[in-house]
Amino acid sequence: MSITEQIPSTTSNSTGSTVAPAQAAPRPKTPRKNRTARTTLFLVLPPLVVAVIAIVLWQSLISVFGVPKYLVPAPADVLAEIGPAIGSLIQPTLVTMGEAYSGFLLAGVVGFTVAFVMARWNVAERGLYPYMVLLQTIPIIAVAPILVVWLGAGAVTNTVIAAMIAVFPVTANTLTGLKSTDRHLVQLFAMAGATKRYEMAVLRIPYALPYVLTGLRIAAGSSVIGAIVGEFVAGIGGGKGGLGYVITSTAQQLLMPRLFLAVIAASCVSLLLFGVVRLVEVLALRRWHESAMATDD
Amino acid sequence: MTTTVPTPAPPVTELVRFAGVTKTYSNGFTALSPIDLTIESGKVVSIVGPSGCGKTTLLRMAGGLSAPTTGELTIRSEQISYVFQDPTLMAWRSVLANTELVSRIRKVPRAECRHRAVEALRLVGLENVQKSLPRELSGGMKMRVSLARALASEPDLMLMDEPFAALDEFTRERMADELIRLWRERRFGVMFITHSIREAVKIAHEIVIMASGPGRIVETVTSPSPPREDPRAPRDEDALEETVKYIGARLAAA
Repeated sequence: MSITEQIPSTTSNSTGSTVAPAQAAPRPKTPRKNRTARTTLFLVLPPLVVAVIAIVLWQSLISVFGVPKYLVPAPADVLAEIGPAIGSLIQPTLVTMGEAYSGFLLAGVVGFTVAFVMARWNVAERGLYPYMVLLQTIPIIAVAPILVVWLGAGAVTNTVIAAMIAVFPVTANTLTGLKSTDRHLVQLFAMAGATKRYEMAVLRIPYALPYVLTGLRIAAGSSVIGAIVGEFVAGIGGGKGGLGYVITSTAQQLLMPRLFLAVIAASCVSLLLFGVVRLVEVLALRRWHESAMATDD
Repeated sequence: MTTTVPTPAPPVTELVRFAGVTKTYSNGFTALSPIDLTIESGKVVSIVGPSGCGKTTLLRMAGGLSAPTTGELTIRSEQISYVFQDPTLMAWRSVLANTELVSRIRKVPRAECRHRAVEALRLVGLENVQKSLPRELSGGMKMRVSLARALASEPDLMLMDEPFAALDEFTRERMADELIRLWRERRFGVMFITHSIREAVKIAHEIVIMASGPGRIVETVTSPSPPREDPRAPRDEDALEETVKYIGARLAAA
């Protein structure tokens, strides 16, 4: 407080007014920590408000119209169910997680490899691409019983179904990335006499990384859908059903609050994987790619 | 009184020679009708002409990126560098890594790559941003990195395809001066495509005027005010101005 006032009074010998120096003094900056907190609040608050409104609306509609619990449970009913149901939901959640995440990894490895082969050899692309599209267009529900016959009902089948659904976005995005490399950079590599392998490793793959990660992000959601669909059809094998099995059986018994909890658990399985992929994306790309940069600098 | 003894210029050799070279694309489009052109070592040749007159095709052929349909193309240059209109940098690699790129591909020993890159960055005035990523630099600085990358491979021929076209007027003029300075230092041959007649006349020993439909050379003009070994040698501004006007008229008539 005193510094800005002392300096003018010692340097200027005319009026000694404190108005001018006060204007000249630098405006105090908002501390960085404070700013980050405000940004976080700005990001978190709007969706939070929407969630609260939705829950309040849900609860009040049920109270007003007296909807029976076996049709639509109120938020309070779902909340009350957590205690008794948690023990019987953990195991199925872990089963679904295992199937979905292994399916996701399988889709990632196969999807990338297939895209790599197609980008490297044109003839491979012409040969394989129609079948990748075909794989994408087959209604997976229709194939599931076939897989059950071949692989048996259980985790292996569900993993394969998850991978089948998740593989296409990985391949399609990776291929686009590998083939859309800056043409002048490709020219530069060619003029310098780079081998195809060197060009792939140093130029095309790093260039495609943002595309690969976008593909994986889409695959994260799809693989959980695949695992649950698999469980609908084939999930009872070995006595350890996943969330898909819990969802079908609780629906048949009209155990609505528990069914809602199973659906929420399935969403969490999906969200966790999505979050991990997004985290990898931000860590890998934030220094150089627009998609992962902070927006406010 | 001291007299500066100019360093003797190295013997002139032909880097690239086009003898009756034509280019017709597979779709039947004739990009170039017979071209005769020689690029000599240590000479800056600029090429002006309307869009679609085959300037870039000519440059790509000189770089061995495209083969002539008929005629004879002789490339004697031992080390060619290509500079594009955009900086063409790898966004995920540092300025230094980008500058080292061509030497690295050519399997030059690591220490030597580093040495050449650092030296090239010093020449373009970017020794302080070696660790930066391209996105952290301005447009002019990125273009300098692109120039440094070309220099680091120690070329005897630089092929430049409108390298400064995307820059603002002020930066553009400074980059042209910079190029002349680098040329003094290294004495590479240059093929320089540009849309700016003034730029073409200012930086070159010879200006090749091209026309389209099909692409051909209309005339080759010797610059009245070529880049000289001695940076203090005065330029004949009037003659330069006259040449700019003359070339403008030739282009309009073609």
